Amino acid sequence: MTGKAFAQGGSAAPARAPSSRRLEPLRHVDAGVLNIAWYEEGPATGPVVMLLHGFPYDIHSYVDVAPQLAAQGCRVIVPYLRGYGPTRFRDPATPRSGEQAAIGADLMALMDALGIRRAVFAGYDWGGRAACIGAALWPERCIGLVCVNSYLIQDIARAMVPAKPEREVPLWYQYYFQIERGRAGLAANRRGIAKLLWEQWSPNWDFDEACFERTALSHDNPDYVDVVIHSYRHRFGLAEGDPQYADIQRRLAALPAISVPAVTLDGEADGVAPATDGNASAARFTDRRAHRVIPRAGHNLPQEAPEAFVAAVMELVKA
Amino acid sequence: MSDFVDRQRRLLLGAALSGVAAAPFALAGHALAQAAPSGGPARASSSKRLEPLRHVDAGVLNIAYYEEGPATGPAVILLHGFPYDINCYVDVAPQLAAQGCRVIVPYLRGFSETRFRDAATLRSGEQAALGADVIALIDALGIKRAVFAGLNWGGRGASVAAALWPDRCRGLATVNSYLIQDISRAMVPIAPEDEAALWYEYYFQIERGRAGLAANRRGIARMLWEEWSPDWDFDDATFERAAAAHDNPDFVDVVIHSYRHRFGLADGDPHYADLQRRLAALPAITVPAITLDGDADGILPASDGSASAAKFSGRRVHRVVPGAGHNVPQEKPEAFAAAVMELIKS
Repeated sequence: MTGKAFAQGGSAAPARAPSSRRLEPLRHVDAGVLNIAWYEEGPATGPVVMLLHGFPYDIHSYVDVAPQLAAQGCRVIVPYLRGYGPTRFRDPATPRSGEQAAIGADLMALMDALGIRRAVFAGYDWGGRAACIGAALWPERCIGLVCVNSYLIQDIARAMVPAKPEREVPLWYQYYFQIERGRAGLAANRRGIAKLLWEQWSPNWDFDEACFERTALSHDNPDYVDVVIHSYRHRFGLAEGDPQYADIQRRLAALPAISVPAVTLDGEADGVAPATDGNASAARFTDRRAHRVIPRAGHNLPQEAPEAFVAAVMELVKA
Repeated sequence: MSDFVDRQRRLLLGAALSGVAAAPFALAGHALAQAAPSGGPARASSSKRLEPLRHVDAGVLNIAYYEEGPATGPAVILLHGFPYDINCYVDVAPQLAAQGCRVIVPYLRGFSETRFRDAATLRSGEQAALGADVIALIDALGIKRAVFAGLNWGGRGASVAAALWPDRCRGLATVNSYLIQDISRAMVPIAPEDEAALWYEYYFQIERGRAGLAANRRGIARMLWEEWSPDWDFDDATFERAAAAHDNPDFVDVVIHSYRHRFGLADGDPHYADLQRRLAALPAITVPAITLDGDADGILPASDGSASAAKFSGRRVHRVVPGAGHNVPQEKPEAFAAAVMELIKS
């Protein structure tokens, strides 16, 4: 059992990897338009689990989840998304798109590159969106889906419909990123913005400076600002997509159902996507789907409540 | 000065109206008649409104305004902000009138009963327009000179008018110091925490924000009141009295234009192009000025005023008002009225 998290005997609270622990070594593979940096742990013959991080985070959201899954026999793959860490675009001419179709396609390209036929797709935020897209469009490649905040495929056709003011306020960064001041602000203050979002989205999470910096380093990627800005403009229909993903985006516009088994998790204290009972998205899940609210957890659920995330993945692996 | 202090003391004590009988006008200060509860200064009840309104054609607008005080008194123009209305002066106006001022409290373009005279006029919310409206109003009322006092958009209108028409201005009282926008630097980011507080300004840049304002103008206004004035315990009636002014048919257009123009993301009305060109040079305020910051202001944190010192070439006093948020005249009317009276008497 490599589960250091388990090996450390605490009293009541589960053990957590120290902030100095990193998911490493990284491996690198050409996959579609990217050269993807990823971390792998667990037996090569085990059921595969793809763990997908969000914005403004990185693979260390899974610093406790990955070893726990590996200890239970899974082959765990944790890639840096486009624009993060050492992941790079292979061609300087490729548009630095952050659109949903692209991050879904990246997941498939990675599995193809690694020769993985089927896997559990698990993620939150951007990573949860990629997982939903992979599960919806390529169900034959997906054993099951674990997603924070339920169905995350964007309905861009309705992006101009306002939400209640109290729901719009936490989206300040998305509106900020619509104008060039927001791009300049992200470029100049990427750590300041990320930290503020961590605090707003995870009010109960007491992360330390080293924990934050471990992740923030991955935002120094030369494509980070372009990919992030494009992502937040595209979802409002205010930036063109990369034509190579036009077909995928057309299919996503129909809001395809998730036809594989799914477990959806909401953090009870999520400051940007408030916990729900899951009913609003029920029609989007046509196979088995369990929905759970995780007490005290914020938006970064795998890092804040790794046991709950691991349990969801293992249920799908064993089903 | 002792007379001023004496009156101020009487007002604070809720003195009998006969105590200020020397004033050559009937004291309209309903607010003052209410005895102060347990030490705090008296406040107008939330059912009191500044009314009746008068209406006057002034430039491109027909402006609705409230007036109080002797017609021969020194004029004071009290200018409200967003997302407020003239009733942010519900306590200030009678206090100033009681001290002999002719107080004019107009609804800005896009608010309440103020209307554009021509359906074809661009519903601009740009700073030059707000300043031009002040001058058009005092022209229409035959007022040669006045104290310009305001907060937020109103402070901006006051600053613009004071800077470009100093001969019309006896003195300037603003919340948050120098408010003329430097649009050429609007794309320079500030600290993330401060950007987050501007969420509504970024929201208004896209059509979702316009739709959101149209659909939820009360919800947005109330959230901003709470964010900007964390210590202000206003009730529903107080909020609704102001929010009703946002049902103006031009409110959404003027607000959205204002917040886009200040980032250089909406064209101005060509009618104001010359004024905006002069404002782009960030002209100095040459008239006497008193600037106030609320020490609990949630949108523009209190400062010591030194950053804007070079923009005031005349006498300028800066004060931080304890316990006040962004809506200083409504939250701490005595401090606001005192600033205006100092300008009147100087």
